[in-house]
Amino acid sequence: MQSTPHRNCFTRLTALVVALGSSALAAVAAPAYDFFICANVNQNYVIGSKIDTTNGLFRHDSANNTWHHFGYNDRTISAVAVDPRDHDTIYTTTLNGIWVSYDGGDTWKMTNSWDMTEGRDVAVDPQSPDTVYFALPDGIAVSTDRGQKWERRENGLPDRGKFTQAISPDRVIADRVLAGCEKGIYLTENAGRSWRQVLPTETTVNDLEQSPHDADRWLAVTDTHGAWQSHDNGETWNLITDLPNDRAIYNATYDPTTPGRQAVASWAHGVWTSEDGGASWAQRSAGLPEKPKAWRVGVDPNSGRLYVSVFEDTLYYSDDFGRSWEPDVLAGSSVNAFLSIRRENP
Amino acid sequence: MKPFTYLLKPIASAAIALVATGISLHAQPSAQGPASREVVESVDERRNQYLARVREMQDHRVGLYHEDNYARIDNSAMAILLMRGDEIEACNRRVLELMEEPGTGPFWMFPTAMVAYAGRDKLSDEARGAIRDAWRTTRQLRGDTENHWVMYHAAMYLMAQMYPDEPGSEWWNGLSSSENLEEGRSWLLDWMDITTTIGQGEYNPTHYIGEYAIPLLMLSVWSEEPAMRQRSRMLLDWLFAELATVTLDGMLRGPNSRTDDTSVVERWYALANYFSWQLFGNIPAGEGFRGWGWGNYFSVLAEYYDVPEVIYRIAVDRKHDILQRDRARSRRIWRYGDEHMRPIYKTQYLRDEYAVGSHQGGISDPIQSHVWDVTWTVDDPRGVHNTMFSLHPHSSGKVMQMFFCTYPEPMPHAVTYEGKPSYNSANKLLGCSPYEEVVQDLDTVIALYDIDPEANFPQVNGFFSKDLSDVTEHNSGWIFARGGTTYLAYRPLADYHWQPHIRYPNGRDPTVTEETGGRILTSPHVKNGTILQAADGDEFTDMVAFQSAILALPLSYELDPVPSVRFTSLRGKEIVAKYGETPYIDGQPINYGDWKLFEGPHLNSEVGSRVLTITHGPLGRVLDFNTLSSTDIVLE
Repeated sequence: MQSTPHRNCFTRLTALVVALGSSALAAVAAPAYDFFICANVNQNYVIGSKIDTTNGLFRHDSANNTWHHFGYNDRTISAVAVDPRDHDTIYTTTLNGIWVSYDGGDTWKMTNSWDMTEGRDVAVDPQSPDTVYFALPDGIAVSTDRGQKWERRENGLPDRGKFTQAISPDRVIADRVLAGCEKGIYLTENAGRSWRQVLPTETTVNDLEQSPHDADRWLAVTDTHGAWQSHDNGETWNLITDLPNDRAIYNATYDPTTPGRQAVASWAHGVWTSEDGGASWAQRSAGLPEKPKAWRVGVDPNSGRLYVSVFEDTLYYSDDFGRSWEPDVLAGSSVNAFLSIRRENP
Repeated sequence: MKPFTYLLKPIASAAIALVATGISLHAQPSAQGPASREVVESVDERRNQYLARVREMQDHRVGLYHEDNYARIDNSAMAILLMRGDEIEACNRRVLELMEEPGTGPFWMFPTAMVAYAGRDKLSDEARGAIRDAWRTTRQLRGDTENHWVMYHAAMYLMAQMYPDEPGSEWWNGLSSSENLEEGRSWLLDWMDITTTIGQGEYNPTHYIGEYAIPLLMLSVWSEEPAMRQRSRMLLDWLFAELATVTLDGMLRGPNSRTDDTSVVERWYALANYFSWQLFGNIPAGEGFRGWGWGNYFSVLAEYYDVPEVIYRIAVDRKHDILQRDRARSRRIWRYGDEHMRPIYKTQYLRDEYAVGSHQGGISDPIQSHVWDVTWTVDDPRGVHNTMFSLHPHSSGKVMQMFFCTYPEPMPHAVTYEGKPSYNSANKLLGCSPYEEVVQDLDTVIALYDIDPEANFPQVNGFFSKDLSDVTEHNSGWIFARGGTTYLAYRPLADYHWQPHIRYPNGRDPTVTEETGGRILTSPHVKNGTILQAADGDEFTDMVAFQSAILALPLSYELDPVPSVRFTSLRGKEIVAKYGETPYIDGQPINYGDWKLFEGPHLNSEVGSRVLTITHGPLGRVLDFNTLSSTDIVLE
């Protein structure tokens, strides 16, 4: 999954955010969450070129409403995860594989072997944070030592069809993980030692999101097999008929500040939102560029602000959940992932 | 046989001789006229001519940066100068400049590694330190393509070897020297094993052969491990033996795993032909070595490679037709396909004046494949579009997703600004299609198309060069033409119209085009096909006789429900092809499962064997990767 707001947040904090509401949060001195993005600023880069732009991890500065780059400059970062116990432990997936930092991004090490490359997603199990999941174009690898060593755990995945675009641990049950693959959604309940298919799909599952309000609720979006929701913690799935399924939906997000709010991004169909828990959906692209090429959506848990990354255009934000949009900074960017992590001492 | 002679051969030979004796012309002797097709029998003379060409390429490259201009010198020229021990201070200065802004991937890594090795005992401590520092601080991308990985891992291996026993803090990826060395070695050995058992992934590429040959040459010279040096040297022989076999007077023709909009029609333009020029001397160079840019890097170490006589003779000493059937493999398929790497079955038929080549069709590489063609010789191939073929101009975001970790929408548009300008164009001449099936027997090709009506461009394009002569649209439905001396009969199976052929003068801007004078036969029908029959100029007294012979050949075909053809070729073979089914030749099904890795008069190898036998007449060389032995044999 490219966009993972709140993947590693704690339930109790979610409750706090919901109780305060976005306007109240904006008034407090320090935000409760660190809010990150992985952004690429493309200027017709091809392999071998010198990178002329600043790419990679950015942290939101809510006081000044801007973004600060940190870590390394790499325009192939596809996802980021942070150890909830130690925010200096950061995992990023890239074209090369997976990069791990144990000092807040000052130094990094590429810890994958040559046969585990082109990382698609990475996620820390919030209930067992030494365990990290690494989604690959040819399967899934797992580390039980905070990303130092990796082993493939693919029992139950199809020999062909295990292109894994999204991986998402259950935030309340240890060792329980959903994987979004080419041929469906797969579930493990033993840290990847065995997987079983819970939803077959004809095309790749691009994103999986667990509700920060109700752990039984999940959203999944695919290339051309529609968007799906689960109300029983990923065991069964229902097609969201209000959303288009003729073209790809690239990611999904919940609004941690407001139960019932969720959004998806589609290159062809723009931004769609629901404010009734997914019962009905409305297109919310007015104010964005024509044919907006919506790449990713994400919500700042500190404010409830909805962001959409328009491919190689810029970030746009909405303070009314998509009814109107304003351009943010990062001209020319495409954001591959949003991530928020609760601060220990906000 | 050959209606044209090579009058300028003595001039070219004299020029080469002058350079070989140390007299610099500064011009390019080999660009002055057509190349010789004569076999150079003397071992010493062959070697001297080879070294003269090395020197010519080197001198040309260095000559671009005359003394006042060394501030702009590139890595290849710098490596040449360092190997020669010339202009060391200028190189020191330039290294310091270049290392201030290092690049980010294999195309930066291998040239920089080459400079580091060429200058390891010549560059100043400061310059060597700057290179070392760049490999500590600058993050490198491994790329997403097999040739990228060869360059990346070879360069990492060599740099880790140069700076052993250093901790991860001294390398950009946090791995120690020993970890980087092992990582590079492991990948290279795995790649070599795959290549020598089930074939090359980027088979017969018109440009990317340099990205393989140069790192292999570096490893064969600079690796401190005898086994790695031997493997690399043997794999160079492997690559060049195949190049020799499938080139026509030095020209690489189709099929090609990867090519480009220019090389697919101007066959001479390909970088692969630099290697024919360098190794065999049987093709002319262009002014300024146009299109052959990577050759300057090969030239840096080319003196350390000795062309085996058996390979040289395969390229140059042709007395018989060649029918070669080989296996290769597709680019690796991440998803939306049943196979991780699809086997590719190539047929190559080379005669004196023309060659016909193909693979079975279908997807091999998503963007730059070329499935089949007939290519003919000309006196001087520079600027000549000496080829004919057809294709379905396929463009698909989903196919991109098979091979790349990408999403459906962005890539088809983006690649048109990344050196593949025609990708999203209906009139393109580049690429393969899942809706094409091809069968070839000798110099006959039948290509059938059953195109998804929802596909982006539901049509078939046929290339008709500006350099064809006697083009006749016969009322039978055949189109007759001559390419050089070769007779060509092209039969479209559905209605068509003509469009101008365009080129893209700027490979990174698809909006700028120019007409070439050639034409594209555009057949806008999803049930479709092409039949191509070629024949030598000596086989018929004139075009009328050729036309009569073609019109007399039994032919029947249907387009619905699926295209099918029953055709008896000029060689008397009945070819039966039906889309989606196994083709038959003279009643026998083609059993691709039985195909060897190489099978033909010159190259033979069993699938999985890791052994390639190269032969020409009594000469032979056996490359055995099981024993890491290269053995020259003489057949009695």
